[in-house]
Amino acid sequence: MVESLIWPAWPLQGNELMRLAFALLLAAVCGEGVARLAGLPRVTGYSLAGLLMGPALLGWFGPADLDNVRIAIDLALALLLFELGVRLDVRWFRANPWVLVSSLAEATLAFVLSFAVMRALGHPNGLAATVAAIAVGTSPSVVMRVAAESRAEGQVTQRLFVLCALNVAYSIVLSKLIVGGMHGVFRGDWLSAVLHPVYLLAGSLLVGAVLALAFRLLRRAFDLTDEQGVVVLFGLLLLTLSLLSMLKLPSMLAPLIAGAIIKYGDPRPHLWPRHFGTAGGVLVIALFMLTGMTLTPASVAAGGVAAVALLAARLVGKLGGVMLIGAPSGLSVRQSTALGMALLPMSGVAFLLTEDIRAIYPFFGSQLAPIVLSMVAILELFGPIAVQWALRKTGEARTGG
Amino acid sequence: MALEAFAESRSLTLGVELELQIVNTHDYDLVGGAEDLLRALAKCTLPGDVKPEMTVSMIEMSTGVCERHADVLDQLGTIRDAMVDAAKKLNIGVCGGGTHGFQRWDERKIFDKPRFHYLSELYGYLAKQFTIFGQHVHVGCPGPDCALYLAHSLSRYIPHFIALSASSPFVQGADTGFQSARLNSVFAFPLSGRLPFVESWTEFEAYFDKMTATGVVQSMKDFYWDIRPKPEYGTVEVRVMDTPLTVRRAAEIAAYIQAVARWLMVERPLRPCDDDYLVYTFNRFQACRFGLAGTYVDPRSHEHRTIADDILATLQKIEQHAIELGADSACRVLREVAQSGVNDATVLRGEYADARSLNEVVRRQCLRWQT
Repeated sequence: MVESLIWPAWPLQGNELMRLAFALLLAAVCGEGVARLAGLPRVTGYSLAGLLMGPALLGWFGPADLDNVRIAIDLALALLLFELGVRLDVRWFRANPWVLVSSLAEATLAFVLSFAVMRALGHPNGLAATVAAIAVGTSPSVVMRVAAESRAEGQVTQRLFVLCALNVAYSIVLSKLIVGGMHGVFRGDWLSAVLHPVYLLAGSLLVGAVLALAFRLLRRAFDLTDEQGVVVLFGLLLLTLSLLSMLKLPSMLAPLIAGAIIKYGDPRPHLWPRHFGTAGGVLVIALFMLTGMTLTPASVAAGGVAAVALLAARLVGKLGGVMLIGAPSGLSVRQSTALGMALLPMSGVAFLLTEDIRAIYPFFGSQLAPIVLSMVAILELFGPIAVQWALRKTGEARTGG
Repeated sequence: MALEAFAESRSLTLGVELELQIVNTHDYDLVGGAEDLLRALAKCTLPGDVKPEMTVSMIEMSTGVCERHADVLDQLGTIRDAMVDAAKKLNIGVCGGGTHGFQRWDERKIFDKPRFHYLSELYGYLAKQFTIFGQHVHVGCPGPDCALYLAHSLSRYIPHFIALSASSPFVQGADTGFQSARLNSVFAFPLSGRLPFVESWTEFEAYFDKMTATGVVQSMKDFYWDIRPKPEYGTVEVRVMDTPLTVRRAAEIAAYIQAVARWLMVERPLRPCDDDYLVYTFNRFQACRFGLAGTYVDPRSHEHRTIADDILATLQKIEQHAIELGADSACRVLREVAQSGVNDATVLRGEYADARSLNEVVRRQCLRWQT
């Protein structure tokens, strides 16, 4: 009896942890390989590893594994969005309203053009609007990882951060409004249709404000740039995530809002702990792997064509919007072009928004997911390359020439 | 290329150039924004000029030809306001200070202009180490021989100008112990230092021809001297100052230089001689290292006193000339600086002691620059 507890069984039994460990190692190797051999962003390698291990190719992982690691994805995104929020200085819009105008222009054009393409392909209004709403957002994880990797800083980089933060917020808000509409259409519950989005947005705002306040109080007590700071920040964000999940609020909006409130209330430089990037990096690898893992051959077959058409429309919208407002907002043509291209990536946020809708309305979700996941899969590979190109083209990347 | 003729300029007119830092508003490190700022400022009509500098994180503003302190202050203020306004639209910061406290020189990028690329090619990492920010003051001279007289005579007062403007205690993230660490970077250049002791323009031309014949220099621009004649403008250019933290201080220092120059030109108190330069580098070092508290050795009497005391004595001597030039209010402020010993380097060290973060110090530099 005791024998079986103290001696390993033969043949050796693999376990869940080992699978994850191998996945992580493979992703790291892919990331490094892609960076060294092709000079591409590591993020592309992580996504490649995810696609490789996912059901589309090797089949080591499938959509069923998602639940086990959802918390890792949520935490990774919360960290990134919080950091991104701190880069969103609302005062800038007062000094230069054109930045806000260019954000509205690119988001509106991307939405309208994506919606038109969906309609032209014969999809109903509801699905078209949902896809368009999700297409509005740029991936904060790709943008921030690639910018960090190339240590970029400058007009294009900071506008990229700001426009990304804003369009992620639009994308979340729009998709929540659409989910509200579904309560009315699918279940005839028009009270929920109005109250639910209001609850989600007001709740996110409130939790965001509480998080900002807690951060400010903690900043007084701790030096947040040392190692202790990593623990404190992780703890604080985990607490926020558990609170959000308890209240059934979206996990992404509140950290972003909290970051922006902190920067507005305290313009001092907010520096992150030195190991924050390292610890967050592991989570981010997981984020990229896992989104790749959920792509199945069936969904590529169902959504691939629409995805390609949508990506073209979205590119025209984002590039057009930014270039239209480029000159008055203070950018050169070269900078506007680079900024428009850098807004292309889609990944974690789009993925989670789709998952959230699928959880409530599975049938609608099954029509939505193939299209969005196909877009995400394509852009997980090419989006980071677009960002890297843009940052190098404008001379803002400080590493990798 | 022969040395150009010494242009005509009205005696004792002033021109001031300030090299400024461009920083981001996230962590306040230097950021490449010169091109963006120049594009934004191209629409404004300004009294002076705004130009790119060696690296993309630097920008230079300069006044037109000014008569007196009030003009300088007015022009610098106007350009400063336009630049601050443009910077806000771009969400970047602009500030004074002779060095950036924590930038890494190897991350700097050379501004895309043939001369800057040539210099970068020639000097290698020195060019990027040259991401330092100085104030240059031009004083108009009636003729070339007078310019040489003034250049040699002003050399005695170099420690004053250094100590009053010093604002570069921090370099590459650490306190150097210097009040002006910026000048140490200038010293690394092979053609830095002082001009040779020649008193007539004919002799100077001969020296210049010999130097060009060696192939070492092509134009006056290749000399990185502390003080140099600028025949193109008909001026003597004093180049030892750090860019102060405010345009007010920059204008005050320009006014002080003007008043000293007037005193030297009108009263001709001493005829310069080569031996004046025996103590030159010692005095210069004392000013860089200890600022106003540094030791000043009088080249003629060999008397030792503090630089602050020598400034106070000089202010006494030039008082009448300062009043004539309308520079007396500026000189009064500088007297207080000398008496209290609080220059911009002291201010920056105080900010660091309070904030314990060089990033925050740079942010406060930006706020101070706006006042």
